[in-house]
Amino acid sequence: MNQSPKIVAFLCNWCSYTGADLAGTSRMKYASNIRIIRIMCSGRVEPTFVLKAFKEGADGILICGCHPGDCHYHEGNYKCLRRFHLLQKYLVQMGIPIERLKLEWISASEGVEFAKLVNEFTETLKGLDPSQIKKTVETFS
Amino acid sequence: MEEIRIGVYICWCGTNIANLVDVENVSKEIQDLPNVVISRDYKYMCSDPGQDLIVQDIKEHNLNRVVVAACSPRMHEITFRRALEKSGLNPYLFEMANIREHDSWVHTNRNEATKKATDLIAAAVARVKWHEPLEKRSVDVNPATLIIGGGISGISAALEIANSDKQVYLIEKTGVLGGLVSNIDLTYPYLNSAKQVIDHKIIAVMNHPNITVYLNTVIDQVHGYVGNFETTIHTSSKEIKLSFGSVIVATGLKPFDVKKVINYGYGKLFNVITSIEFEKVLKSGIIITRDGRVPKDIAIIHCAGSRNEDYNAYCSRTCCMTALKFINQIKSALPETNIYDIYSDMRAFGKGCEELYSITSKRNVMFLTFDHRVNLPQIRQASYQDTCNLLIEFKEKFSGESIEVPADIVILMVGMEAHDDAKQVAHAVGVSMDGNRFFIERHPKLDPVATTTDGVYVVGTCQSPKDIPDSVSQARAAAARILATIQSGSVNVEVTTSVVNEKICCGCQTCIKVCPYTAISFKEDEKVSFVNEILCKGCGTCGSACPTGAIKCKHFTDLQILSEIEGLMSLQEV
Repeated sequence: MNQSPKIVAFLCNWCSYTGADLAGTSRMKYASNIRIIRIMCSGRVEPTFVLKAFKEGADGILICGCHPGDCHYHEGNYKCLRRFHLLQKYLVQMGIPIERLKLEWISASEGVEFAKLVNEFTETLKGLDPSQIKKTVETFS
Repeated sequence: MEEIRIGVYICWCGTNIANLVDVENVSKEIQDLPNVVISRDYKYMCSDPGQDLIVQDIKEHNLNRVVVAACSPRMHEITFRRALEKSGLNPYLFEMANIREHDSWVHTNRNEATKKATDLIAAAVARVKWHEPLEKRSVDVNPATLIIGGGISGISAALEIANSDKQVYLIEKTGVLGGLVSNIDLTYPYLNSAKQVIDHKIIAVMNHPNITVYLNTVIDQVHGYVGNFETTIHTSSKEIKLSFGSVIVATGLKPFDVKKVINYGYGKLFNVITSIEFEKVLKSGIIITRDGRVPKDIAIIHCAGSRNEDYNAYCSRTCCMTALKFINQIKSALPETNIYDIYSDMRAFGKGCEELYSITSKRNVMFLTFDHRVNLPQIRQASYQDTCNLLIEFKEKFSGESIEVPADIVILMVGMEAHDDAKQVAHAVGVSMDGNRFFIERHPKLDPVATTTDGVYVVGTCQSPKDIPDSVSQARAAAARILATIQSGSVNVEVTTSVVNEKICCGCQTCIKVCPYTAISFKEDEKVSFVNEILCKGCGTCGSACPTGAIKCKHFTDLQILSEIEGLMSLQEV
C-alpha cells in the first residue's frame, strides 16, 4: 500500500495538456500527487523518459496524447502507441508491474475525463507498494 | 560554458495561486537551488510592472535564464518571451511552470499544492539550464486565401479580403452559394428579408475579379504551413492544384434530423414539419397545411433535438428567436389562427431580441412550457371527431397539469449540428474538434477565430451554432487577421524543429519513415539524414525514433526533458 504515490505525466501540448488546463479552468478537483511535463506530441515520448522517471522514484507514469485520428501532427499518437506496447514488454522483463505505466487519450475538451483519469490511476497505484526501482538502482550502482 | 544565472518569478495571480500556494515560502525554498540568482514572488507577473521586474533584474543581476511560475504556458508564454526579448535576452532562454491550471485550481490541500508548486518550479529550473538560444526564422506569405464553405460566413470573408485586392479561392461543396441563409424567408429580430441580405452578396462574389469560385468541389489534405499552404481540389470535372497562404474554414452546419425524436412522429404525421420546411412555406407566400387547408391552430415546439442528453446537449441558439419570428409572420398573414408556442426557456439574448419577445408576447399567443429533458410532448393524429388535425399531449411545467393542444400544423424548431464530414474537414486542414464535432478555436475568449494551426481560421457555425450577425463578425475578423498577415509580408515559422548531427547519424533512415511531414530526406552522398526545417513542425517523433541519438529536437532535447524529470523528483521527501 502506498498512500501518496508519485506520478509523472507526459502530456502532449495540443490535446492532453490543453485538456488538463481545461480541468483547471473548470476548477475540477483531482489528486495532487501528479506532476505534468509538457511535450509537443506524445510521439516525442522516448522510452528513456519513462525509465528515467522510474529511476528517479516515480511510482507511476502517465502518457496522454490526442485521440486516434486527432493528432495535431497527424500520427504521432500512433507512434506513441507502438512504443508503448514495446515498452510494456520491456517493463515485464525488468520486473516492473505494467500497471505502473498508463497510456490514455485525452482531448482538449476532456477536462472531466482527465481529472477522473488522474484519480483512478492514483487509486491503482495506492494498491501497489511504493516503487523500489530507485532503491534498487542505487544499490547496484 | 558561461555561468548559468537563473531568475525565478512566482506569480500570485491575485488570489488565484496565492490562496492555495504559499508563494513566499516557495520563493525562499527555490532561492537555495543551484544557479538560482534571484527568486521573487509578485502579485501579477503578466502585468506591465511584473514584466518590468524581469527586464530590470536581467540587467541588474546579469541573468541569462528566466523561470516564471504562473498560469499555463499556453496563456502567457509569449508574453514573458517578449519581456526577455525586450531586455536583449533570447526568448527561448525561458521556461514556465504551470502552478495555476495544474495546481492551485485543481487541488484543495494547501500543503500539497505548495509542495507541488515547488517541485514544478524545481523542474523548470533544472530544465532551463540546458535551454539554448534559438533564432527566429521567417518566410514570405503567399497573399492568396482559401475559403472552404460558401455560406454567409465564407462569402463575407471572401468579399472582405477580395476588396483589398487579394486573391480568394472559394470552395463550395454544393452547387449553389448562400448556405443555410438561402433557406430563410425573413431574419429576426427586425423581420428583414434574408434574400436581400444574401443575394447581392452572392452576385458580388460571382462577379468579383479577385474571387475564384469552385462549386461542387471538395478538397484534399492541405499541406504546408502558415503563409505557404497547398492542396488539390476536386471539382466535378477536374483536379486543380492551389497554393495559398491562409485558410478560412466556414463549413457551417446542418439541421438536426428530427426523425430521431420518436415522440414527434416526424415523417409519419403529415402536418408535422421542421422549421426549415416552414421557412419554405413562408417563402411560398401562403400558409396552408400539407393537404391544402388554412390552419386554424398552429403549434410550435422548441428545442427539437437541442438541450437534451439523448440528442444534442447544447443550445442551438437561433431557434427561439426564429420561433418568435414565425409567430409574427403567421399573425400578420392569418390573424384568426390560434398559435401555441410550446417552449422550455425563452432565450432572447442579443440586440433587439428581448424587444422582439416583448412585442410577440402581446400578440395574443398562447405560450406554454414543457421540460426539455424529460417527458417530451407526444404528437398524435386527431380522430375524425376532433376539429383539428393533430393533438399534442404534454405536461405543462408551470401548472404541472397534463394538457392537450390542438394543431393543424406543428412546427418543430430543429436544432443545428455539425456536418457528417466535419471530421474529414478537420483532418484536411489540421484543426481539432470538440465533443459535438464543432471546430475548436485557439482561445475561447481572447483568440476566437484562430486555431492551433497557424494560418487556419474557423468562422461561423462550424465553430458553434450562431446567428447571422455573429457569423459575419467572425468572418470579417478572420479576414482582418489574414489581411494583417499579408500586409506584413512574412510570418515567423516554427523554430523548435529537429536537426541531425551528421557525425552520429548512422543512415538507418528510421526518421524518414516516421516523419509525418516528409521533412526529412536522405543525403545519398554522405549517407546521412537531413531535416528541411521549413517543413518540420517540431513534433519530435523522429527524435524518439533515432537509435543513435543523432537527432536533436530543439527546445525539447533529451537533455532538457531528462533534467526536467530529475528536477521534478529532486525535492521529493524519501
